[in-house]
Amino acid sequence: MKTPLFAFTLSMIMCLGARAELKWEQTNVELHPAPNDKQAIGHFKYQNVGKTPVHFKSVKASCGCTTAQTQKEEVAPGDKGEITATFNIGDRTGTQVKTVTVETDEAPNQKTVLTLKAEIPQQLEITPNFVFWKQGDKPDTKTINVKVGKEFTVKHIKVTSATPNFEAKVEEAGNGQFKINVKPQDTNKPVASMLTIQPEDSQKVFYATARITNGPTAPMMPFAPAGQKPPGAPGAPTVPTAPAHPTAPSGQTH
Amino acid sequence: MARQAAVLAAVALLPAAGEAVYFRTNISWRSAVAPSEMVTVDQARAWGDTAIWVDARPDDEFARDHVPGALSLNEDRWNELLPQFLAVWSPGKKVVVYCSSLSCNASREAARRLRKEAQLPEVFVLEGGWEAWLKKNR
Repeated sequence: MKTPLFAFTLSMIMCLGARAELKWEQTNVELHPAPNDKQAIGHFKYQNVGKTPVHFKSVKASCGCTTAQTQKEEVAPGDKGEITATFNIGDRTGTQVKTVTVETDEAPNQKTVLTLKAEIPQQLEITPNFVFWKQGDKPDTKTINVKVGKEFTVKHIKVTSATPNFEAKVEEAGNGQFKINVKPQDTNKPVASMLTIQPEDSQKVFYATARITNGPTAPMMPFAPAGQKPPGAPGAPTVPTAPAHPTAPSGQTH
Repeated sequence: MARQAAVLAAVALLPAAGEAVYFRTNISWRSAVAPSEMVTVDQARAWGDTAIWVDARPDDEFARDHVPGALSLNEDRWNELLPQFLAVWSPGKKVVVYCSSLSCNASREAARRLRKEAQLPEVFVLEGGWEAWLKKNR
């Protein structure tokens, strides 16, 4: 009984002796970007409280949407610094948790995981954002539900169909909710239309898709209803574009 | 002997319990996926033309290489790419979403949004992602 307890105590003492010299002010950062923000930036501050310099061996983000930068490669005893993690929001919504794994030479396999949590505000929650009818189906009305995010006030929304093949009517459902009733003119031929949803007094635009499908084996051209041009061609329905993402550091997984 | 083992197990439980309490407010950065929503490369390939392959990696990685016929659908440009994907989807099609490797999360997020927001049935996450596909095909 004495031998294993002695071994355990000894290993604990050795672990404590090899404690990290880089002391982090915080390893978890929670951010609340504004609705139109393109990036969320977290600052992770540290100080070398040990007696020897610490070197960063690698700094890896958990996804290509996040980049991490160190101010210096070597941290002298007593020095302070920070790692900046930049999360490119893109078209992401809701709670986003991204990590940055920092490896130093303090001890073998010494790694610290920095966590960046961002709550991306969502002005409108649109469910479903896709309604479809099979070719030959009865052209019944289908409903898209729109819920206004709790941080926002939207009294009215405007919905426009990119093609006349679908009719979209807005019905106010109260409590910050709307119903968009979508009805195809007919279901005789495969067509698609982008529905543009715009809250009153807002520049932000949201989208939904309405489509008559033509069966599982013959997909149609994207947004090229009969007689219309594909996206990108002059006169074609406009497709929204998101900001380009930055180059991801090596060693990331997406 | 059994007593010693019990003592060691009890001692090992202490830091585990402490960690569980300390990190209780932390959430996992990986989206949960039910086993029934995962698919292997072999299973997905067996679906043949009834499957649509969706690449959830960033644009530059998709441009470098991708599963033949796969469509790009990443969250950097979700609003732009989703309508293009929906124009190709048909009822009865299975959707196979992949990202770079076993540890990536982008495919899980894309699959979750396709199920929840577009309300598509039969959306699967490829086990092992692009790396697994490469191992089986190159």
